Amino acid sequence: MNWKSLLRHETFLALLLVAVLIVLSFQSDRFFTVSNLLNQGRLMTEIGLIAIAMTFVIATGGIDLSVGSILGLTAILTGVFWQKLGLPLPAAAAGAIAVGTFAGFANGAIITRFSVPPLIATLATLALYRGLAEGISQARSVRGYPDWFYVLGQGEVLGVPTQLWILAAAAIIASIILAYTRWGRTVYAIGSNEVASRFSGLSVEKTKLALYTASGFAAALAGVIFVSRVSTTRSDMGTGIELDAITAVVLGGTSIFGGRGTIAGTMIGLCLIQALKNGLSLAGVKGDGTIMLIGAVLILAILASNLFERSGTR
Amino acid sequence: MTAAPYVSLAGMSKSFVGVKALKDVNFDVRPGEVHALLGENGAGKSTLIKMMSGLYSPDAGTITVDGKEVKFASTRDASAAGIATVYQELLLFPELTVAENVFLGNYPRKPGGWIDWSEVRARTRALLDQLDTFDLDVDAKVLTLSVAQRQRVEIAKALSKNARILIMDEPTASLVESDVQRLMAVVRQLRERGVGIVYVSHRMPEIFALADRVTVLRDGGYVGTRDIGEVDEAQLVSMMVGRSIDSLFPKADAAIGDTVLEVKNLNHGRHVQDISFSLRRGEILGVAGLVGSGRTELALTLFGMTPATSGEIALEGRTVSITSPRQARDLGIAYVPEDRGQQGLVKQMAIRKNVSMASIERFSSGIFIKAGEEAQRALDAVKRLRVRCRNIGQPVGELSGGNQQKVVIAKWLETNPKVLILDEPTRGVDVGAKAEIHTIMGELVKQGVAILMISSELPEVLGMSDRILVISGGRLTGEIDRADATPERVGMAMTMHQSGEAA
Repeated sequence: MNWKSLLRHETFLALLLVAVLIVLSFQSDRFFTVSNLLNQGRLMTEIGLIAIAMTFVIATGGIDLSVGSILGLTAILTGVFWQKLGLPLPAAAAGAIAVGTFAGFANGAIITRFSVPPLIATLATLALYRGLAEGISQARSVRGYPDWFYVLGQGEVLGVPTQLWILAAAAIIASIILAYTRWGRTVYAIGSNEVASRFSGLSVEKTKLALYTASGFAAALAGVIFVSRVSTTRSDMGTGIELDAITAVVLGGTSIFGGRGTIAGTMIGLCLIQALKNGLSLAGVKGDGTIMLIGAVLILAILASNLFERSGTR
Repeated sequence: MTAAPYVSLAGMSKSFVGVKALKDVNFDVRPGEVHALLGENGAGKSTLIKMMSGLYSPDAGTITVDGKEVKFASTRDASAAGIATVYQELLLFPELTVAENVFLGNYPRKPGGWIDWSEVRARTRALLDQLDTFDLDVDAKVLTLSVAQRQRVEIAKALSKNARILIMDEPTASLVESDVQRLMAVVRQLRERGVGIVYVSHRMPEIFALADRVTVLRDGGYVGTRDIGEVDEAQLVSMMVGRSIDSLFPKADAAIGDTVLEVKNLNHGRHVQDISFSLRRGEILGVAGLVGSGRTELALTLFGMTPATSGEIALEGRTVSITSPRQARDLGIAYVPEDRGQQGLVKQMAIRKNVSMASIERFSSGIFIKAGEEAQRALDAVKRLRVRCRNIGQPVGELSGGNQQKVVIAKWLETNPKVLILDEPTRGVDVGAKAEIHTIMGELVKQGVAILMISSELPEVLGMSDRILVISGGRLTGEIDRADATPERVGMAMTMHQSGEAA
């Protein structure tokens, strides 16, 4: 167990990503262009932010299914706070993000206080938060945001989409936290053996509460970026995004049982999925075919990494 | 006694990724004998057993069953050849009934392929009766049974396949004394019926009471096979460890100082009732009691896992309330738990990370872990406690039981505890490592640590403690000084009822 074996899955995945990029660039000459790749980066930011927080959650052996609903709720609240309550837009967005973060905190509280399994707890709040979003929106969308707001979702800073900077910063900070801090260590310890972690005096409950809160915050931030990118607010935004995020995390080598996983892996997994989606659609493959291929890649990647694992350790 | 062996293994060797687990070992079992297999953890006992039961295939060597050379490709082959194994961690399905478990995989059938349930139940009943287990209901779900009862079900399962050889891997490791006696009776009875038994155990009294022959392994090598009449305990121990251990319980005399921990009228639920005692610097306070008497619950209450509902805990004269393990740790209380694998260690993680786990703040500057310092402290700990490992990056799960236990102890020593609670510190630990753990305890009390040691092993309690607390039914039923402690006095207090009358 050293760097080599830890990186094995990520290395394999990175090679796969390179191979996919090469194949796709032969399929369509519009794929491997700077503007297309940057645009894809723009599209994957929301899933990416959620997937980063999800990596922590899954590494503790948990899961958060409610992120898509939190995203939708935040999006709606941004519009409602701004248009209906007449708040300045920055305050409206901040308020909506605060509510989304609190929604995550509520998940954590349900899971830690009442020992509800994360799958059940967040399945329930997935319905609850989406219901809230729909109730508040009354099926009306909010449009007509001021131009400066679109910088976040549609603009560029130094030639790179604004939100991609946010994603990059989040990924770097998160990977440092996971790899080098005692919080990261606690996450892995809880995921590997929660009982022993508690018996070692680690603050298991606090850590989990913080992670689900962070997951809510990531989803809320993604919600505001989403609104800025698509210029409108609708209550069904982010439906199913939790599955995309979980796919990226698991593809990236994070064990669904906890104890193992890296941010680098998640980011590669994310790029792989986005490259497949975009490249295949440019090559004229229909949406259904793309989804099927992503499913197949997921299974193959997991099988291959299990194979490596076995031959590597025993 | 000179019947031809039913199974014999000759020149067995096996390596795992270049490490020789077993080299050139010979072993045989005759019908109607108990053949004990002895060795420290990591000596190769499990590897040998697993080859006999078809789980591993040997790199070299031959297995002969009933005069014919065989190769086991799977456990099915071994079981067809009449070899069955009762593993330490019992492999039953908790949600199924006793009868369903016993015949799982080879249910008797009625015409048309339907399972003949009345036959299943009748034959299970007959098998259990043969084991003098009349009190066990064949329709009870296995999850409702005690460990001893489950073991009986495993044995019945082995017999249902007409086992000629029964391998028992540390069958008494998790049994209480009365169940041990019963199990030994069952083993004797099986021997009478001509079953050959391979008996793996660390406990010398059992081996001398049961075995006809004993084979000793050390570091994967074959040391020798003796008739039980030819050897005594000291000889066996020296065969196992390759040196003689002078004293089984090296009680170090430490200067006993001021009171560190004072507990008054502590309560938690049914298992901790009105417990009062004090513990002093440099003292080893033994806690004796039957399984289920409340010993572990007392430890968990002191450690904040199950906070006290009433009563007073004072540390160095200051009254404290302890509501979480984290708080207990900050106050200088450390707990080495009973269940090493579940509670003590994160087995997948490296030794280095386990050693620092309870004191991770100490190894951090801000939120960042100081990896260099962490590695250095782990290296020191490994050296000081003589943990045998490849390097500090090795996952603890790969270490033997004794070395795992040393890692748990090392983890807690990093917190500089004032009070160290050891719950069954040497359970499932081989003789050599056991002596080392006792030596470590001696060194700690010399440094002024106060130790509360819970143990099921009476000789350990009597040998190591300065004073002994006895618990029965959640209450303190005795407090005995080292000078007055005899097995009889402690045993009497252990079975005392709450009213204070002897049972």
